[in-house]
Amino acid sequence: MADFRKLVAVSLRAGLLGGLLLSVLQHYQTLPLILAAEQFETPSAEHVHDWQPMDGWQRNGFTLLFNGLTGFGFALLISASMYWRNQRGYLYGIGWGLAGYWVFYVAPSFGLPPELPGTDSAELHSRQTWWLFTAAATAIGLFGLVLTKQRLLQFGGAGLLALPHLIGAPHPEVAQALAPEALQQHFVVLTSINNAIFWLTLGAISGRLLRKVTFE
Amino acid sequence: MKTLAASPAISTSKFLPGFSAIILGLTVVLGLGFLQDANNYLHNAAHDGRHSAAFPCH
Repeated sequence: MADFRKLVAVSLRAGLLGGLLLSVLQHYQTLPLILAAEQFETPSAEHVHDWQPMDGWQRNGFTLLFNGLTGFGFALLISASMYWRNQRGYLYGIGWGLAGYWVFYVAPSFGLPPELPGTDSAELHSRQTWWLFTAAATAIGLFGLVLTKQRLLQFGGAGLLALPHLIGAPHPEVAQALAPEALQQHFVVLTSINNAIFWLTLGAISGRLLRKVTFE
Repeated sequence: MKTLAASPAISTSKFLPGFSAIILGLTVVLGLGFLQDANNYLHNAAHDGRHSAAFPCH
């Protein structure tokens, strides 16, 4: 399992760097929108007593931690895929980063766009289930479409890519948002750009770092 | 002989390290993005990150 440790080491470095970059982008672009949207929310009585990070360094610190750790997790998926396919170098990494962006951001957001706090949505559990199903179907579908040579698997892959969107994401019967529509649209655009930069950078760094690693 | 077109099947010795990395990666990502704890500690700490990554949050 020496190879596993090497994959972890590469992914830690790539994930922390990618997460740091994403946190800086978010701090200046999407965090102000989240804070603005929260002004429209009135705290409900049951939530008042829950612990939450204080605005400022504590809140930003947890976001940095979250981004670094999810970056680590995503980088593990990228580097393991490249390891299996004997690929290295930043160009392959960017290709896998693009796939990750599609699987974990574009496809789920197509049905469930990123939301500002205070947006009414369908029940959380059903949205999480649809999100996970969509990411899984998209990952398998992309694999079938791009990485196999048999016609049947390619057709099946294309079908899997479409399936979650034919089923449709769960939405509330009456959609309501506290924040103005323009704020929400601005948030979606910036989030899409930030995540694209994050994924492509994460892939490029992972691929570059893998170049220096000799596996067993 | 190596050909460019043929994608090599994953060798047995490479399966386990890669598979372990994928399981660890998915555990980290899904744990941070999806777990709901009774006291909302994890939810509130991960709040801005979840919103900005388009994970379903509330």
